[in-house]
Amino acid sequence: MGLSAGVLVGPALTMTGCGPSNQLVALDRIGKEDASQGAEVQLNNDYTHQSSTPSWAEGFQKLFTNFAKDHPDWKLSLKIIPASQTTQEQARLLEEARAGRAPDWANVDSFVVAQFIDQGALQPLDQYFSKEELDGLYPFVREIVVGDDGKMYAYWRATDVRVLYRRKDLVPDAPRTWDELIKAAKAAKQKDSKVDGYLFNGGRWEGTVFDNLAHFWSQGGELVDDKGKPIFNEGENRTYMLNVMNFLKECVDSGASPKLVATIKDYTDFDTAAQAKTVAMFQGGDFEYPVLKDTLAPEDLKNWEISLLPTMNPSDSKKTGTGGWTMGAFTDNSQKLKMGAAFTDEVYVGEGNEVTGQLPTNPQYFDTLSRFQEPVYDTFREALKYGKARPGVPVYPEISNQLQIAIGTVLTGESTPEEALNKAADASLAAYKQQQ
Amino acid sequence: MTPAKKAFTRRGLVGENRPTLWLAPLLAVVTLFYLYPAFEVLRYSLTNASLLKPDYEYTLSTFTQTLSDPVLYGVLKTTAIFVVASIVLQLILGLVIAVAVNRASKRRLPGRVFMRSLVLSAWVMPGVVIGIVWAIVLNDADYGLANLLLGAVGLGSVPWLSTPSTALASVILANVWRGTAFSMILQYAGLQSIPDELYEAAEVDGAGKLQSFFYITIPQLRPILMINIILITISTLNTFDMILPLTGGGPGQATEVLVLRTYNVIFQNFSLSGGAVLAVIMLLISLALTLAYRRLLRSEGTL
Repeated sequence: MGLSAGVLVGPALTMTGCGPSNQLVALDRIGKEDASQGAEVQLNNDYTHQSSTPSWAEGFQKLFTNFAKDHPDWKLSLKIIPASQTTQEQARLLEEARAGRAPDWANVDSFVVAQFIDQGALQPLDQYFSKEELDGLYPFVREIVVGDDGKMYAYWRATDVRVLYRRKDLVPDAPRTWDELIKAAKAAKQKDSKVDGYLFNGGRWEGTVFDNLAHFWSQGGELVDDKGKPIFNEGENRTYMLNVMNFLKECVDSGASPKLVATIKDYTDFDTAAQAKTVAMFQGGDFEYPVLKDTLAPEDLKNWEISLLPTMNPSDSKKTGTGGWTMGAFTDNSQKLKMGAAFTDEVYVGEGNEVTGQLPTNPQYFDTLSRFQEPVYDTFREALKYGKARPGVPVYPEISNQLQIAIGTVLTGESTPEEALNKAADASLAAYKQQQ
Repeated sequence: MTPAKKAFTRRGLVGENRPTLWLAPLLAVVTLFYLYPAFEVLRYSLTNASLLKPDYEYTLSTFTQTLSDPVLYGVLKTTAIFVVASIVLQLILGLVIAVAVNRASKRRLPGRVFMRSLVLSAWVMPGVVIGIVWAIVLNDADYGLANLLLGAVGLGSVPWLSTPSTALASVILANVWRGTAFSMILQYAGLQSIPDELYEAAEVDGAGKLQSFFYITIPQLRPILMINIILITISTLNTFDMILPLTGGGPGQATEVLVLRTYNVIFQNFSLSGGAVLAVIMLLISLALTLAYRRLLRSEGTL
């Protein structure tokens, strides 16, 4: 083969994972092909060198290469899950775990990790991380990843948090209550008729329920009981949930929010509205701040401020929804467990947060990582103190599905909040019974 | 006995004139990839299987629960509107474009290949991409593409996706945009196969353009139209990839069609058996419609 052909074919072979065995990172492998020890790791595409975000891909390429250099005897075979298939894949992973065919380590969504723990699919990881590191995790993290036996069954390595974004020129002070929010949204619309006062997720997707659950939780509401049975339509919980539905309905009916909120099922709609200067406030995630920073002119960015979510009453406790991904181990091989824990620690904890900008689950990293030194991260850090994860019970996805339908029909005026809530509760209970 | 029959008898099952050998690979593929999965779906529909539990029992309760769920009938109604409107519009628009392209071809007008390629581009695009593109076009906000255009000509914004009726119409519109190309291809092929002599004879007999269209074009196209209807029906019933990014089935359940409901039942409710029941219902609807179309074709003597 001539030199020119070699120059062309070499990179092509490397890119397709067929490169020479001494390549440290290939498409489906970390470490040399002929390494003496191996483990299988399943990762979401975003958290690999194949991420569609160039800076993430570049960052993980470096981290993977460094890891391979530091552990020359190991080869990690990668199974990479496309971003569009993560929901289905979690169900499939649970099935594989039950059949004993799961990979040694895998990304497990924080909102289903409790199911994996309940089914005995995951291995305890306490001995592979320092006590300081584990004790430092936010309480909402420990609530989910620590089993009834007090052992930690997954390492929750990155999280996010819901907050209120507002334009200071239209809404100078952060609203503390729902009433203040509606009043401020209407006042903003009066100041500038082209803007929508307040946008929130109201379309048919998980974000609609997840974001607005904060309003339910802040009143003291609980979606399920200790056994995982839906109770959001019982006793005080029903009152709390109806309060949320009525609040969202009032947002639309009063003109504080446009009807189009019933179609919003993507956080990028808020970013687009912010760029087009057509929104005064929106309930979004911390992950939108880097987008706004990249796309807004500096003077426009300064006009945006972030605060904690308002509550129904001033005295209600603050709450906000937190999500993110964990690393869980399915193997009982101690060498593979140790190596997977090292991979999690060296690639994803701290360093990985620096690459992605996703919030650390241990507040100490806010002090040490350069990416989180802007003042806005103090607000996110503060919000995480009030973080609450979705209940990791099997019926949660169906509860969410039913509440998405309920919120949609309330916002479009098809149902009253009471009718919508009753239907959602009946369907959720039926699903729960079917799962028993 | 002819020589061929002798060979057939001597070589038995594997003789070169026996169909068994050359049909075997096809039978194997059909059994493995079509019949077995279909059988599994049917089997799961008769259980209470869940993605959460390894064990399950055979029962008819999943069928009775699914069929007694009032939500199912709302979903079936939405599916019926979606399918019927899509079929009618795709057939009509596909025919109009096919006639235009056919005429352009016969007159060798410039741009006819470009026109065909342009229409086909909608068909080759993945459904997910189409859903995302239409979600941008039909964004309810004033900066949504469709509303921007309406605003430019002095018309007000339309709530394309935020009210139940317009959301369903929007989903149909996006599906018709995608499916018209396929319809056009089939009908264009059909038009090309109609002999010019028929039109020439009609012209000699004094038939006008409309008469030629209704008394020559349509009858000659009938077999193609019927095959087209069957294929469109099946593909529209299975449309899921486009609706998920466009509306997710919302607002509420306004655009939740049967196949999307099946997905939700399996992946939100983890009910494998419930999803299998819905899949069986879909299969039965497809079969019933196909048989009805087939009967129609036979009765008209075109099959």
